[in-house]
Amino acid sequence: MRHFVTVAVVAAALPFALPAQENAAPETPEAVSVELPDGENVEIALPESVSPDEGLDAWARIYEVASHPRCSNCHVGADNIPMWSGPSYGRTQPHGMNINAGESRIGAETLPCATCHAMNETGGNPEPHHAPQVAATWRLAPVEAAWFGRSSEEICAQLRDPERNGGRSFVEIATHLDHDLILHWAWNPGGGREPAPYSLQEHVNDVLAWGVAGQPCPGDG
Amino acid sequence: MASIGKIARRTFLIGSAAVAGGVAFGTWVVRKPHANPLEDGLPEGAATFNPWVRIDSDRIMLITPHADLGQGVAQMQATLIAEELDLEPGQFETDFGTPSPAYFNGAFANDAAEDLARIAPLSAAALHGIIFSAIKVLGVQGTGGSTSVADSFDKLRQAGAVARETLKAAAALETGQPVADLRTRAGHVLLRDGTEIPYQALAARAAGIEPVTRVSLRHRSEWRLIGQPVERLDIPAKSTGTQAYGIDLSVPGMVHAAVRMSPRRGPLSSYDASAAEAMRGVSQVLEVTNGIAVVADNTWRAIRAANAIETDWAPANYPADQDGHWAALSESFVPDRLDAEWRNDGDVDAAGGEVIEAEYRAPYVAHQPLEPLNAIVRVDPAGSEVWTGHQIPGFVRNVVASVTGEDASGITLHNQYSGGSFGHRLEFEHIRQAAEIAAQMPGTPVKLTYSREEDFAQDFPRHIAIGRGRGTVADGQVVSVDISAAAPPVVASQMGRIGLSASGPDSQIGAGIFNAPYDIPNFRFRGYAVPGLAPVSSWRSVGASWGGFFIESLMDELIRGAGADPVVERLRLMEAYPVAAGVLRRCAEMADWGAGRAENQGRGVAIVESFGTPVAEIVDVTMTERGIRIDDVWVVADPGIVVDPVNIENHIQGAVVWGLGHAMNSEITYADGMAQQANYNDAEGMRMHQAPRIHVAWNEDNDSPRGIGEPPVPPAAPALANAIFDATGQRLREMPFRNFIDFI
Amino acid sequence: MQITVNGEARDIDVEPDMPLLWVLRDELGLTGTKYGCGIAQCGACTVHVDGMAVRSCQTAIGDLEGASITTIEGLGTPEALHAVQAAWIEHQVAQCGYCQSGQIMQAADLLARIPEPTDEDIDAVMSGNLCRCGTYPRIRAAIHAAATTMREG
Repeated sequence: MRHFVTVAVVAAALPFALPAQENAAPETPEAVSVELPDGENVEIALPESVSPDEGLDAWARIYEVASHPRCSNCHVGADNIPMWSGPSYGRTQPHGMNINAGESRIGAETLPCATCHAMNETGGNPEPHHAPQVAATWRLAPVEAAWFGRSSEEICAQLRDPERNGGRSFVEIATHLDHDLILHWAWNPGGGREPAPYSLQEHVNDVLAWGVAGQPCPGDG
Repeated sequence: MASIGKIARRTFLIGSAAVAGGVAFGTWVVRKPHANPLEDGLPEGAATFNPWVRIDSDRIMLITPHADLGQGVAQMQATLIAEELDLEPGQFETDFGTPSPAYFNGAFANDAAEDLARIAPLSAAALHGIIFSAIKVLGVQGTGGSTSVADSFDKLRQAGAVARETLKAAAALETGQPVADLRTRAGHVLLRDGTEIPYQALAARAAGIEPVTRVSLRHRSEWRLIGQPVERLDIPAKSTGTQAYGIDLSVPGMVHAAVRMSPRRGPLSSYDASAAEAMRGVSQVLEVTNGIAVVADNTWRAIRAANAIETDWAPANYPADQDGHWAALSESFVPDRLDAEWRNDGDVDAAGGEVIEAEYRAPYVAHQPLEPLNAIVRVDPAGSEVWTGHQIPGFVRNVVASVTGEDASGITLHNQYSGGSFGHRLEFEHIRQAAEIAAQMPGTPVKLTYSREEDFAQDFPRHIAIGRGRGTVADGQVVSVDISAAAPPVVASQMGRIGLSASGPDSQIGAGIFNAPYDIPNFRFRGYAVPGLAPVSSWRSVGASWGGFFIESLMDELIRGAGADPVVERLRLMEAYPVAAGVLRRCAEMADWGAGRAENQGRGVAIVESFGTPVAEIVDVTMTERGIRIDDVWVVADPGIVVDPVNIENHIQGAVVWGLGHAMNSEITYADGMAQQANYNDAEGMRMHQAPRIHVAWNEDNDSPRGIGEPPVPPAAPALANAIFDATGQRLREMPFRNFIDFI
Repeated sequence: MQITVNGEARDIDVEPDMPLLWVLRDELGLTGTKYGCGIAQCGACTVHVDGMAVRSCQTAIGDLEGASITTIEGLGTPEALHAVQAAWIEHQVAQCGYCQSGQIMQAADLLARIPEPTDEDIDAVMSGNLCRCGTYPRIRAAIHAAATTMREG
């Protein structure tokens, strides 16, 4: 079942309140209709109102997640080289074994990620230093969403830019987090790896709050 | 003289260590040949001429007692026999044979005598006689120290010649023709009329006569096989998955075992195996010394159950954390830790010139061959049986016997092709554990397989070391070198684990340094032995693996400090060492040493002699945006004789990869008494993308056959560090280099 | 459950999380596939699953219902060598040989996807296969040789 809610959005920028809308930021407060799906793995519920400051606080938490090694190690740039970094990986370094995921971002041109990161229906493989596995094809995030080594401002700008976020509204970002199993791994990486901060639900809540607040970014205005 | 004579009477000298507790032996004991183990159970009609050749009516079996860990020594040994016995590839089989004193490795005496002669008031020749005799009387069969060719070269050609002449004698009896009219070719005795008699057809007759032992070996100009490429007999199997290693064997009724041993090398305080006991396929959880074993119906189930045991281990009896290890080394450059002053030419204290000082560090490093340690043991009152790949097979039997209480000579050992060793399969703990498990279920074959993590945790690593160098330069020349090194005594550590005590200086604290092929006017080396550190073991090239790094890094700093050319100044100092100088000169020619290079490129050189073989290496690097890339390595070695040019090229390339890869990427560090590195992600050596082009050549000017498995390792690290300095100005004085600079 | 191994249907009755590696080695007795690290760091366990090279130590048998698996024993035999195996012998690649099953399986996959690999291609595909003996120069040469053979037939 899907239901519609109407929320008042007060913000300087509202780039993807509606999927069809381009990066046209409305200049005045506006009431919009948002299709709000049922969450499959998390609850997707919009807060009634979120102040700009609360929105920025939510963004700060989102950035903690986005910049965490469990996320950013695979949100890498155009060199297509995943990273090994974070508390359980010793020093920050490119993924060992000369790994390059290619423009396909799944290693199709070189060594497919799935050579080692096998599809595992139970999403298993909790042993230390094993190749992480999920019930999906292992891959890098699209190059437009390069986060590794990027600042809060840079990642925020990218996430609210439909040209670089897959044309997603903030609600669609939340549902993407709900549906894409590879993302869930970040909070349940096993093998002694440090999980991404907060929880998947809290992260989704933050994305929604940030969206309701008008997707404010540090350094705006 | 008196003191050494006394030592010789009451000790055996093995390696460079004097092993106390021996007995004096008379000349007759030394001269007396060991019994031929092939005579045991020899069937009617089969002939054996010596411990290396057995021929019966349908096959020719060559015994190759040196363990094949990947070096290709099974083929090498077979080639030497076949050369004199006139066999072609495909006409014989090989087997590692049963352990026997007859297969003692007399070449262990070569380096030991040369090293000890530096500090003992006896000549190298006299020491060689003592040590060789001890090895022979004790019947020490072993593979290591890059000795296989040296040990085999005359002995196995002789074995082949004896077999050949005896077969000819048998043919003479068979045909009535005089021996002088007979020849041999391709597995046959040839009569004058052209008739060919296969060796197998002569076996029964040959078995009935005394072997002809007065034989002469063929001149080099007559060799058919030695010096020619031979297709290694194990390579087709190793390319098709059909080579069975120890880990692949299956014995009827066999169960699978895994262990959890103390990662702190001490006792088990307490454990809870209830979860493991409930896991599928697990039949038993048993205690072994310093650990616990799980017995199951499958390797994976056993390993997984072992990992599920909750354990509490007693503290280590060495420093808990890595800083403590470095501190112990650093504090050991004191008189009461002096192990030996191996070299003291001129007067380093009085030498003038500009002073250059540096300290170097080499970490613990794990062996980690790709086949994890494993052994199958079946304990049987009628004589136990063991299947494993090992470098010292006779001692494997002793270790099993020490567990079961049986007579070691009644134990059957099936030595196996090994998936690498690099010194790892000189150790016995996994054998002991397999025997302890098997002894708790007599009659049932128990296959113990280490998980990779267990293998890392239990690896006795290369001995850690600090080197301190001080030299002087003047007028563009090196005037003095005063170098010291502190390290744990590796020989004592290894021998202690098999119940032997070692006394006397340890040549593996300083190998590669004290024998550096330089006539520097003032040159001193002192080794310091550091007690109380982690137990250590021989790691491919042993002491020279860091000794070469220390001395050749220091030499580079001195030569560059003097404003001299690294090759020219080295050659100036090597006039008394023509074999080593020949190696360096040729290497420089191959690499076109003086050629110009781009701004972001660098070139480094090093020459180290170890195990009697000098090896020079020149390394070219480029500083890229992603780090240092090693482009090319030129290597020239002089092992005296090259049995197979293809195999030796492969072996030298591999040793260079080993030396470079570990210098770049590998270390073992301790925290809370445990090795912090648990798998190859933490200590991988070198991979394909880091491997340079490696250009190999050799001279054959050395005075006798020498080793090649280890000697190309030591020059790799300093040549790389010297090249990186040339490219970047950054001097790397501590391994692994990746802690200080990025590599692609 | 059922899988096909080297063309032969095999019934498997083990825990679904048992890695394919141990099913091959301990249940089916196919020991040409090697255990080196257990964590996808060495590549010694490489086999082909439905035509793609994978690390069998990372592949849970429960995810393989109906899959077709080729191991080193199924790639070629001493009597009928695959072109990659023939090149391995021609170039005398192996030292200890323990990694070579995995190297050969990975190289065969590389050549199926990239028939004329450059050195960079080889570096990109083969660096996940560890050789402790350091036979990399010969592996590289053998791959180029096999590529030529397979192209020219």
